[in-house]
Amino acid sequence: MSTGVVTAVPRVDDQDLIDRIIGDHAGRPGALLGILDKLQDANRYKYLPMETLEYVATRTGIPQAQVYSVATFFTLFNLDPQGTHTVAICRGTACHTRGSRALLERVKLQLGVGEAVDGAGKTTMTTADRRFTIRTVACFGQCALAPVVEVDHAIRGHVKEQVLIREVETLRKGGAR
Amino acid sequence: MTEKVKVRIDGEVIAATAGQTILEVARTNNKYIPALCYMEGLSTVGACRLCMVEVSGVSRLLPACTTPIQEGLAVATTSPQLESYRKMALELLFAERNHVCAVCVSSGHCELQTLAQEHGVTSVRYPYSYPRLSVDTTHPRFVLDHNRCILCSRCVRTCAEVEGAHVWDVAGRGVGSRLVSELQRPWGESTSCTSCGKCVQACPTGAMAEKGWAVEEMTKRRAAVSRLTSMREGE
Repeated sequence: MSTGVVTAVPRVDDQDLIDRIIGDHAGRPGALLGILDKLQDANRYKYLPMETLEYVATRTGIPQAQVYSVATFFTLFNLDPQGTHTVAICRGTACHTRGSRALLERVKLQLGVGEAVDGAGKTTMTTADRRFTIRTVACFGQCALAPVVEVDHAIRGHVKEQVLIREVETLRKGGAR
Repeated sequence: MTEKVKVRIDGEVIAATAGQTILEVARTNNKYIPALCYMEGLSTVGACRLCMVEVSGVSRLLPACTTPIQEGLAVATTSPQLESYRKMALELLFAERNHVCAVCVSSGHCELQTLAQEHGVTSVRYPYSYPRLSVDTTHPRFVLDHNRCILCSRCVRTCAEVEGAHVWDVAGRGVGSRLVSELQRPWGESTSCTSCGKCVQACPTGAMAEKGWAVEEMTKRRAAVSRLTSMREGE
């Protein structure tokens, strides 16, 4: 997780984008959530850089601590650059009993990433080449399909180790997006 | 227009004003309800769960600090069940962080320690989680020790509501929650902090303290923060 003093400011065209998104939400209660969501979506690496958070705080008048609090409370907000492909493995009870830990360990081994738990207690790991991000999810609400894995926002049920490995391998060979 | 209501607290009939919370009514009438996250003059959050009370006709326990008073309400501030829950809440607070009274600046003047003594917490039945936590000594006058923080958010509310700076907030969630200043900047590098020290005075434990004090030496002027808000009310 990024820490330390933020001195960098977003690039000028980024500033324009942020200003526009803030303008769309101006005056609405609870606007921060929508603003952060849109900004993360617009970011190339699907994350919220510290300078963006600082700029949002300055432009909206929302205290920096509050912006940070919201950005870290919701696990779908990322403070670190994300990989091109996302593999989200469910670690809920049903999926756990159906062997989701083995799936997670296997994919970690395949992509060569170590354990990483950030301050907010969520597990996300991104490969050094930023092509893959592995994350764990508490529950997809699809327990009948356990174990459940989400690959690039498509939910897969009854996932077997070999099937998942093949799928990840296909994505890996697919070249950079 | 202030509407008067009659309530019963521990069997005694008490006249109260509509809009007050159970805790406020109880405190003004010398009825004791323990609380850690409540502080007079600040908004209420119901975070510490120590002020839970029994209300007749309600099957679950209610936090006294956030429950508004109503006509005819009958409240029990203590019972064997409440006592066991409060003890449990205290033990969980101790298990969650590294609270070592023997080396703490606030030992002897700590609200957590005092409540533990009052409720007879002599040991903790739950496994300690021993999290690895940092101590922020970057501020020239104050120090923040996350090991002693109970996340009551009194400092957050004091800074936001009384001082108006909103330097602090709670980041993350669940067991990973941490107090942060600004965008997780070191306290000393915070640009919005006015160094007024009200957060330090509001802190119930030794998590926030003035520098330069040894074990047991840090006494706090918590009433000063509450007095400040009551003095502003007439304005």
